[in-house]
Amino acid sequence: MNVMSLRWFGVKSRVLMPMRVAWREWREEDAPIFAYVIKLLIASLMAMWISLFFELDQPRTAMMTVAIVMQMHSGMVFAKSFYRMLGTTIGIMISMLIIALFVQERILFLLCMAIWIGICTAGSMLFRNHQSYAFVLAGYTLCIVGLPATLHPEQTFYIGVTRISEIMIGLICATLVSDLLFPKRMWGVMINTMRKRFNDFSDMLLSTAKVGASTQSVLPKFIADIFSLENIQASASMENDKSRLYSQRFNLMNKEFLQVSTSYHAFNQLQMRLHNADTSTVRALLDSIFIQLVRAVSMDGRSARSEDEALQIERQLNLFRQMFVDRVSVAKAQLPLGMADYERLNFDTGIELLNRLSQELHAYTRRYASFTSHETQKDLQSVAEQSVKLVTQFDPLLVALAGIRGALTLASLATVWILSDWGSGIEAITIGVVTSTLFATAPSPRNTILKFMGGAVLGTILGYICNFHLLIYAQGFWMLALAISPAIVFAGYLTTKPSTAPIGAATFIVFMMHLGFNSTFSANPVTFVNDAIADLLAVLMSLLMYGLIDLSTSRWSRLRIAKALRQLVIKCCMDKPSISRTELENRARDLVQRAGSIQRTGEDADQMVIQWLLSLLEIGHAIIDLRENIQGLEDPVLVLPMNSVFQSVAKLYASPGISNRNLAIKAIDQAMLAIDEELASLALEYARRRQLMLMLHFIRSALLDDDSVLVTSEQHMLEVA
Amino acid sequence: MPREVAVFDALVPTLLFAFVLAGLLTLIIDWLLARFRIYPHIWYPALLRLSIFICMFAGIGLWIY
Repeated sequence: MNVMSLRWFGVKSRVLMPMRVAWREWREEDAPIFAYVIKLLIASLMAMWISLFFELDQPRTAMMTVAIVMQMHSGMVFAKSFYRMLGTTIGIMISMLIIALFVQERILFLLCMAIWIGICTAGSMLFRNHQSYAFVLAGYTLCIVGLPATLHPEQTFYIGVTRISEIMIGLICATLVSDLLFPKRMWGVMINTMRKRFNDFSDMLLSTAKVGASTQSVLPKFIADIFSLENIQASASMENDKSRLYSQRFNLMNKEFLQVSTSYHAFNQLQMRLHNADTSTVRALLDSIFIQLVRAVSMDGRSARSEDEALQIERQLNLFRQMFVDRVSVAKAQLPLGMADYERLNFDTGIELLNRLSQELHAYTRRYASFTSHETQKDLQSVAEQSVKLVTQFDPLLVALAGIRGALTLASLATVWILSDWGSGIEAITIGVVTSTLFATAPSPRNTILKFMGGAVLGTILGYICNFHLLIYAQGFWMLALAISPAIVFAGYLTTKPSTAPIGAATFIVFMMHLGFNSTFSANPVTFVNDAIADLLAVLMSLLMYGLIDLSTSRWSRLRIAKALRQLVIKCCMDKPSISRTELENRARDLVQRAGSIQRTGEDADQMVIQWLLSLLEIGHAIIDLRENIQGLEDPVLVLPMNSVFQSVAKLYASPGISNRNLAIKAIDQAMLAIDEELASLALEYARRRQLMLMLHFIRSALLDDDSVLVTSEQHMLEVA
Repeated sequence: MPREVAVFDALVPTLLFAFVLAGLLTLIIDWLLARFRIYPHIWYPALLRLSIFICMFAGIGLWIY
C-alpha cells in the first residue's frame, strides 16, 4: 500500500505536474487564439447563412465584414463595428448624392470622388484608431457603391441598401458571437496593463537610483504606454460592465502618470548635469533624498504587485512627504558653508523637483491603489467634474498630403480605367483606394503594404482553389461551408499574430472579394484572373504612392514634427494666457504619436523627434510655471526682464543654435539679477521669489547642457539643407 | 399599424424602426443595470442583454403585426 502510494506520488510529480503547467500555458496562450479562430468561423458562416436566407446579392460582403471587425476582445469588436457602421452609412449617402448630381459626366464624377476621398483620408489622419477607420470607410465605400452604380445608375439605391444590409448582418453576427461565445474582456487587459505600468515605473526608479542611469531611453517607452492604454480604454468603454463607470477615473490616472514621468525626467536631467559638473556634495545629498523616495515607492526592494500593496506604498509616500521638510533641512545643514551661489541654487532646484515628483507620485499611487476599490457615487461625480479635455494637435501640411495621396491613387487608376476601357477597372480602383487610405496611419505603411501584397497573392491562390476545385462540388449549405472554411481558418490564424496580421487581412479581403457565389455558383476563370491581376496592380500603385508621398519614414516629415514641437514651446512663451501644463503635454504627445516615432525608436531621425519632445516637456513646464508665478505682477522692474526671457527662449526655439542660446542665457541672468535686486522693495513674497529663481535656474542649466538637442540640432539642420 | 413606412418615398419596413427602437431601449436598460451595479449579480451579462433585446424586439414586432 505504502509503496503503491509512493509510486503514485512519483508518477504524479513526474507526469502530472508538468502536464498541469503545460495545460495552464496552453490555456493562457494558445486557447485564446483557438477560440478566436472558432469564433471567426462561426460568425462568418452565420453571416453567410443569413445573407443566403434573405437572398442578398453578395453574401461575401457580410463575411468580409465579419472578418474585418473580428478581434480577440469583445470591446474592440464593438468599437470597430460601431464605427464601421457609421462610416459605411455616410459613404453610401455621399455616393447617392454624387451619383444624383454627376452621373452623366464621368470626369466631374471622378473628380468629386477624388476630392471626397482626399477629405476622408485627411480626416482619418486627424483622428485616432477606430474613428480614423470610420473616415477611411466613408471614403472607400464610395468606390464600392458608387462605381458599380455608374454603370447602372437606376440601381444605385438598390446597391446601397443591399450593401448596408449585408454589412449590418456581418456586424450583428460578429458582435453577437464575440459577446456570447468565450467573451474576452478588455477590462482585464486594461487592468493588467495598468498594473504592469506601475510596476515597470517603480522598477525603473529602483534601478536608476542604484546605477544613476539616464532615463532618455526608457521614458519614450512610458509615453508609448500611455498611448496604448488610451487606445485600450477607448475600446473598453464600449463594453458595458465596468469599463464605462471607470473611464473618467482612468483618464485622470493617465494624465497623472504623464506628469509623474515628465517630472521624473526633469529631475533625472538635473542629476545627469550634476554628474557631469563637479558638484559632488550637492549630488550626493540629492541622491540620498531621492533614494529615500525610491525606498518609499518599493516594498523590501521590489515593486508593488497588487493594488493592496500599492495602498501601503501610498502610506509610505505620505509619510515621506510629511518628513520631507525635516529631511531637507538636515541635508541643508550638511552643505559646506563657503559654497557658490549657483551650487546652492542647484540644490534648491533639485529639492523643488523632488518635492513635485513626490507629490505627483503620491497622487498617482493613490488613484492607482483605489482604482478597483468601490467608491461611492459621489466620488465618481467629483472625478467626473475634473475631467480631462482632449486636445488634438497636428501638422496641416502632412494631413493635406495624406489626403492628396488618396485622391491621386484614385485619379491615376481612374485615368487608366477610362483610357484603356479596362474590364476590371472598378476592382482595381476599389483595392487601390482601400490600400492607399487604410494604411495611411500605420507606423510604416511601406512594410505593411508589402505584407498586404503577399497576403493578396495568398488570397488569390486560395480563392482559385476554392472557386474552381471545391465550390463546383458543393451542394447545400454545409458543403459550401466546408469548402470555404479552410481558407477562413487559415487567414484567421494569420491575423492573430501582429507580424502576420496584414498578410492575414489581405488574404481575407482578396479571398472574399473573389468568392464565386451568390445564390448560385457564379465564378468565371477569365474574370477571376483579370480581377486578380487588377488587384495586384492596384496594390503596386498604392505602394508607389506611399513611396512618392512618404509621410512617416522620411526625414523631411520628421523635421516638420520637430519644428511643430518647437512651435509649442514658442506658444508657451508667447501665448496670452499661457496654455496649461496638461494641454502642453497632450499636444506634444499627440504630435509625436501621429508621427509614430515612438514605435520606431531605432532610427536616428526618430531619436531626434524624441529628444525634442523631452526638451519641450522640460523647458515648457518650467516656462509655464514661471508665467503662472508672475501673473498679476505689475512692477516693470521685474516684468520687463521676464518678458525678455520668454522672448529669447522663444527665439532660441524658433532657430536653435549657440548664439541664440547665449542670448537666452544672458536674458535669464539679467532676470535673476533683477529679482535679486528687487529684494529691497519687497513687492514679491519670499516663496514666490524663490520659485522664480529656481525655475530660471532650472531653465538656465538645461540650456547650458552641451548634449542638449538645442545645440546638436544645428548640425542636423545643416545636413538637411 | 402599417407594415411599411415611406421615408423620402422609399418604402422601409416598420420592423426596421422596431429594431432600432428595441436597440435603444436595450441600451437604456443596460445603462440602468450598469448604473445600479446589478451586473455583478448576473451569471452571463451578455446573454441577459441579448435576451432583453429579443424580448423588446419581439414585443414591438407583435404590437405592429
